Amino acid sequence: MSDGARVGIVLVSHSAALADGAAELAGQVAGGTVAVVPAGGTDDGGLGTSIAKVRRAIFAAHAGAGVVLVPDLGSSVLTVRTLLAEDSALPEPLALADAPFVEGAVAATVIAAAGGDFTAVLGAAEEARNARKL
Amino acid sequence: MPGNSDEVAEAAITLAGDLHARPAGSIAVAAARFRATVELAAGDARADAKSVLAVMALGATTGKRVVVRATGPDAPDAVAALIEILAAATLVGG
Repeated sequence: MSDGARVGIVLVSHSAALADGAAELAGQVAGGTVAVVPAGGTDDGGLGTSIAKVRRAIFAAHAGAGVVLVPDLGSSVLTVRTLLAEDSALPEPLALADAPFVEGAVAATVIAAAGGDFTAVLGAAEEARNARKL
Repeated sequence: MPGNSDEVAEAAITLAGDLHARPAGSIAVAAARFRATVELAAGDARADAKSVLAVMALGATTGKRVVVRATGPDAPDAVAALIEILAAATLVGG
């Protein structure tokens, strides 16, 4: 745990409303000290994903300690993978979390708020796969 | 390594309100700052205090007794910090 820059979180969704809402929830649960940036919907506001939106969100979330991306479904994953493969000018470290969207977003943001490093934040998101609700 | 790495501390509190998402977040953020392992117990349920999802799933509601148990070099400080948060956060709710 460090008191320096926090790891940033990017939430990639087909829906702008879903990404915005998940970012609001994760930010409030974690106490608001982490950049949780939504990247939802297409460039013209429809349902879908946008490489340009994800790219802007990564730069907005980056504070020097890396960025963890949490995707919702299907082409969110493909869009991020395409961006990471084709763009060599992105901040580092950067990783796509294999995690459920809401739980992964909340768990990752909380650990980022506690000063967790990139590996700890990515791990928190992915551990959310195993979390029970009941 | 300073301190006794096997130090164990424990305290309990009766919740004045439900342990909702935001208090669970406050607890996990605070617990993750300590080196000690920290566990919450409510009835038969147990949760790693550093896991916000586990704390939310604890089902700790108003009037339930929650035991905070820490093991590690900063265990007493961890228990004191979490009891304080549980007392304050469950009064506010959310």
